[in-house]
Amino acid sequence: MADSSESDRLQKETGFQKLIRRPEIGAFIVMVIIIVALAIASDMKAFNALGLKNNIKIISQYGIIAIGAALLMIAGEFDLSIGSMIGFAGMSMALMLKWGLPFGLGEATPFTAFFITLIMTLSIGYIIGTIVVRSGLSSFIVTLGFLFFLRGVTEVAFRLINQSTQVSGLPDYKEESWFANILGGEVFGWFYDAWYWIGTKVSSGIDMNADMSRAERIELIEYLGLLNINRRMEQWVTGFDARFMWFIVIAVVAYFILSRTQIGNWIYATGDNKEAARANGVPVNRVKIGLFMCTAFCATMFAACQVFDTNTSDAAKGNLMELFAIAIAVVGGTLMTGGFGSVLGVVFGAITVGLVANAVFFIPAIDGAWFRVFLGAILLAAVFANERIRKRITGGI
Amino acid sequence: MAEPYLKVSGLVKRFGPFTALGGVDLEVYPGEVHALLGDNGAGKSTLIKTLAGVHQPTEGQIYIEGKPVQFRSPRDASGAGIGTVYQDLALNQLMSVTRNFFMGRELKGPLGTLRMDEMNQIAHDEMLKIGIDFSDPTQAVGTMSGGQRQTLAIARAIYFGAKVLILDEPTSALGQKQQMGVLKTIKKVRARGDIAIIFITHNEIHSRLVGDRFTFLALGKVIGAGKAEDISDKEMRRLMSGGAEMGDLEQELSAI
Repeated sequence: MADSSESDRLQKETGFQKLIRRPEIGAFIVMVIIIVALAIASDMKAFNALGLKNNIKIISQYGIIAIGAALLMIAGEFDLSIGSMIGFAGMSMALMLKWGLPFGLGEATPFTAFFITLIMTLSIGYIIGTIVVRSGLSSFIVTLGFLFFLRGVTEVAFRLINQSTQVSGLPDYKEESWFANILGGEVFGWFYDAWYWIGTKVSSGIDMNADMSRAERIELIEYLGLLNINRRMEQWVTGFDARFMWFIVIAVVAYFILSRTQIGNWIYATGDNKEAARANGVPVNRVKIGLFMCTAFCATMFAACQVFDTNTSDAAKGNLMELFAIAIAVVGGTLMTGGFGSVLGVVFGAITVGLVANAVFFIPAIDGAWFRVFLGAILLAAVFANERIRKRITGGI
Repeated sequence: MAEPYLKVSGLVKRFGPFTALGGVDLEVYPGEVHALLGDNGAGKSTLIKTLAGVHQPTEGQIYIEGKPVQFRSPRDASGAGIGTVYQDLALNQLMSVTRNFFMGRELKGPLGTLRMDEMNQIAHDEMLKIGIDFSDPTQAVGTMSGGQRQTLAIARAIYFGAKVLILDEPTSALGQKQQMGVLKTIKKVRARGDIAIIFITHNEIHSRLVGDRFTFLALGKVIGAGKAEDISDKEMRRLMSGGAEMGDLEQELSAI
């Protein structure tokens, strides 16, 4: 009865044990703590109409690239070229918009600038992936090479074509082009409309002229601010940045692919034990190359949202973003050695890191550099926590 | 006498100047356990890797159901119904039982989605058929015991069409109880009657417990073969030690 008794022992795993074995659980707890702490420390300012918009902007930026980085990490590889890829893509789009398409093909529209850039970045992603799988070299060193290479190409191209490492004063394309608008414009205006409508309804029940002290009056006004009824006054907020929508789209698609499809199973298999995956017929190399192209795509989306939002670009855009992306993936429960991780966890990680990065704007008393202290600390904590989870899973009986 | 499913005749494998296999003959019948025994370096690994399509034979011929075949890759061999369960089992510890069971051969629905419920059910049923009732196939393989992992790898090979199941030292590196579990699994697969099993082992007792037929290898050659009832325990011990007489060994040892 040796085997049946063993399965009996396994059956005792409770729902709670399953929950704490999930990759995103640590990231979720940290995120809740940060949200509560920030709400208290900023006196709810971080989550009023404008605060929410600004927080979600940076969360979405981090989230877009972190999801790409996390999928690649689950398959057991790194991409250090994400930041330089953002700079490269931004340069490519801005220069085309300002100086026209290459080879004298005429004026660029936001649509053509974006797609030509995307073809280039996906090709670079393909080349990086091919070099990694063909050479068998560590992706760390190959993508470190591309970190320098792409940043250098970006600067050189700026100087050669533009005589300056900055493009500014581009026309506001999102006014005319629907395509620029879905990348750089605003989305989900109904959210703020609804908030405003509820706030107006609630506040109409409050009598401002009632007899109250000055302190009570200030408190009431702050409360009304949270209700967003003053959006026509100091906080004119009509919607979120379009990158929020792209963050949601990329997160949902990545979640679907990773958790529900055959490709997702291949990604996990590739990162866990490459040889075992190969022995069972998983196309390991194609999975890896595809994921290097995926990080290139995420970097391009990051850059496109930035270019069409601000109508500027410069050679330093995306600097250090590869490290943030990897850090957020790890904080989100992705295992450095591959084979384990979840998109949901990365979303939690992006929310956590984004909120802390922005905290200085809502709590003026703190030094902005504390952000990096915090990031370093939770990164280390996350690595240890992930390692514990891995041991718990592979511990066996 | 039934036709052997797999037949090997005069198999020679040389790696440069080194002769790993020097003319091996082997016949494997459905519904039988063929124990392949021999010391380290006897050529067991080379033989099974040749059968699994990893190596190509230098000379000699492999027959499947009487027809000569050539395996250029492991894929050819598994296509011909040869399922090899290596010692490392080709399992991913962090992934669930089901995800491992169907790794690389997932059941797909629309948009490449996994038919997860169906796959869970099949993984559970297939493992139950050969002996373990693993109630929760969504658990990670890392939580399974060594014996259960063997069962998973064997069930997977059978489900995906193995007619010859090659088990590479499935009982080594396991505790006593788990070894018995694996032997029970082997017996259950044998009882199906349609699968031939090649059972590679160092262990005389284990091969005695489940083996129908024995082949002893030493230095790349078959030094003895036969049905279980035709080989005495004493003969078996002699062949296991590479053909040397037990008495000789005892003398050598006592002389030290």
